[in-house]
Amino acid sequence: MINFLFLLTLLIYLAASIFQTLSLALGNRSEAMAIRLTIERIALWGTAIGFAFLTLFIPLWWLQQGHFPMTHWTDSIAFFAWAVTLIYLIIVRLTHLRTLGSFVMPVAFIAILISYSFATHTAALPEPLRNYWLLAHTALIFLAYAAFIAAFGFGLMYLMTERKIRKKTDTLLDNLLPSLGISDELGYRCTILGVILLTMGVIVGSLWTQYIQDVPWRWLDAKVIATLMTWFIYVVQIGFRQFWGWHGRRAAYTAILGFVAVLCTYVGVDLFLDSMHTYR
Amino acid sequence: MHPIVSIGTSHHVAPIEFREKLAFSEAQLTEAVQHLREAYQVQEAVILSTCNRVEVYAVANSMRTNDAATKMLVDFLSHYHRINFESLKKWTYLHHNLEAIRHLFRVTASLDSMVVGESQVLGQVKEAYDASRQAGGARTILNRLFTKAFSVGKRIRSETTIATGAVSISYAAVELAKKIFNTLEGKTVAIVGAGEMSELTAKHLVSNGVSNVIVANRTYERAVKIAEKFNGTPLPYNSDLNFLIDADIVISSTNAPDYLIKRRPLANIMRRRRHRYMFLIDIAVPRDIEPDINKIDHAFLYNIDDLEAVVASNLKDRQQEATHAEQIVTQEAKRFYDQLQIFQVNPTIKALHQQFREIADTQLQACCNKASFTDQQAAAVNAMTQAIIKKLLHDPMKNLRYAVNDGDADHAQYLQALQELFALDVKDEEPEA
Repeated sequence: MINFLFLLTLLIYLAASIFQTLSLALGNRSEAMAIRLTIERIALWGTAIGFAFLTLFIPLWWLQQGHFPMTHWTDSIAFFAWAVTLIYLIIVRLTHLRTLGSFVMPVAFIAILISYSFATHTAALPEPLRNYWLLAHTALIFLAYAAFIAAFGFGLMYLMTERKIRKKTDTLLDNLLPSLGISDELGYRCTILGVILLTMGVIVGSLWTQYIQDVPWRWLDAKVIATLMTWFIYVVQIGFRQFWGWHGRRAAYTAILGFVAVLCTYVGVDLFLDSMHTYR
Repeated sequence: MHPIVSIGTSHHVAPIEFREKLAFSEAQLTEAVQHLREAYQVQEAVILSTCNRVEVYAVANSMRTNDAATKMLVDFLSHYHRINFESLKKWTYLHHNLEAIRHLFRVTASLDSMVVGESQVLGQVKEAYDASRQAGGARTILNRLFTKAFSVGKRIRSETTIATGAVSISYAAVELAKKIFNTLEGKTVAIVGAGEMSELTAKHLVSNGVSNVIVANRTYERAVKIAEKFNGTPLPYNSDLNFLIDADIVISSTNAPDYLIKRRPLANIMRRRRHRYMFLIDIAVPRDIEPDINKIDHAFLYNIDDLEAVVASNLKDRQQEATHAEQIVTQEAKRFYDQLQIFQVNPTIKALHQQFREIADTQLQACCNKASFTDQQAAAVNAMTQAIIKKLLHDPMKNLRYAVNDGDADHAQYLQALQELFALDVKDEEPEA
């Protein structure tokens, strides 16, 4: 039953991604206005329903496994999709910028697709890891990743709009992309949010290992190093923006670089390197 | 029939020099409306005076012809503003009745605006109407006319998309600026050189939220003069472009034969303003701004052709909408005119009925006094008299209403003839509250 619902969620996410992207393609042309508004409504409802289902799965898996479902990487990637959708929905609630969905919803969809394809949801968690520290640590870091994905979406929107303005394309005024200023500003805010969450997540994680578990801090852990590098990219971006006015295009490129770094940290390390963080 | 006449001038037909001569300040408006009513025996009048247009709408006494009514307005304008007849003739337009109604509907719907679909004009017409009404200018007919004009304006805004498109260059500039900046609030526009187009664009930007205006000119006095219009800051022009440090939007239109704003100094300026976005609009021919500037990070350059291309691609979409809007205006104007005529015929019909009835009643009374009718007989005679009146008036009234509905010009003469032959005392109906 859960599996069937999960498949349904997957399909809902696929539909929401496609519809949201379709609305971006239709643009703001008056003749397509009515269709576009319907499509956008379907996309947003789809996102909300898909999100509600995902939210339901977390306690279900929790009950099934007897612990917070974050241990197996297929669980974690579903949680990642949940966090991305949450951040997206918050942004839509605050700014009404649904266009962001065209960029982040496909990411969430692919995450769920991977989770569905390899799902087991049956990993056992060693006793010492069964506590709320792990929950806080991982939840914070995944929310940080989601904020970075949103920043990445804004970066892409920025570059698309800039290209249109620069090339003076026909569809310049008819598209739904927000102004450069808005993409830039919101991307920046998402980056700051991400850095704050990531910092908190790392602090919680290190305190937990050092003081609660009494395990010596391992600097050379691949995941730790990769995370710190990701963190460093974003912090440097914020610093340069503050002191040298690095915004706009450079910020957009950094958001994309940061996205790659997040992928490497999250997926790459698990696949190719050994770490105490590796999911089984 | 009361002729409705409008006389006016706008950016379509007259330069700013003439328009400002014809303009009425807010303080003048009340007095002018009263003067027009008292000294020229105009029954109703509304004066609309904005930066792009000055128009007088008037309803004359029904005894006057269209031409006589027009002459009154021309006399009024010429005396009030001390303008000779020749320039009035050259720079103004005249509309009568149906055309005057249609024109007001077009103006209110923003179809006649410089920026078609802009929203300001509806408010301006409302203010003009309120002011004239308080001065006693707008009464029965103009009250109806303007109330209808507002509803037509709203209908067009909700049923068509003319209000959403960029259909003029200055509007395109504003829309482009909105694609770049988060908001235009608090932004600074720099006008380099002078010219109506650049001032207009700047004005449009200011009305969309831009808060500071810088004016740079080779002759400082000129800069001061233009800056005064915008409450802006005049700055001397220099080739290292220091005056552009705070400028977020630059509009350049000089007569210079060479590039005034070159890539290297501008790149320097961009560094000094920490790469905040700069939107440069070059409406000069030959061009003022080096095209390579479009390659500088965060600097976006549009010349007059680029802007026109943006307008053209939007125009294609909007053309249909504008046609649709014009159809609505024409149809509403026709409908209103018909209603107005029936509305104007009603008092005459009423007066005629009343007169017949009064005569019949008097005669009936006299007759009853002489002969001694029983109640039943009196009622029968009374009913017969009423029936005769009805029958007598039936055909003339039917034909009169036909004439009105057919748009037959004769009906005005019919009305006049009726009023004169029967010596009717026709009172205008007061509008329903």
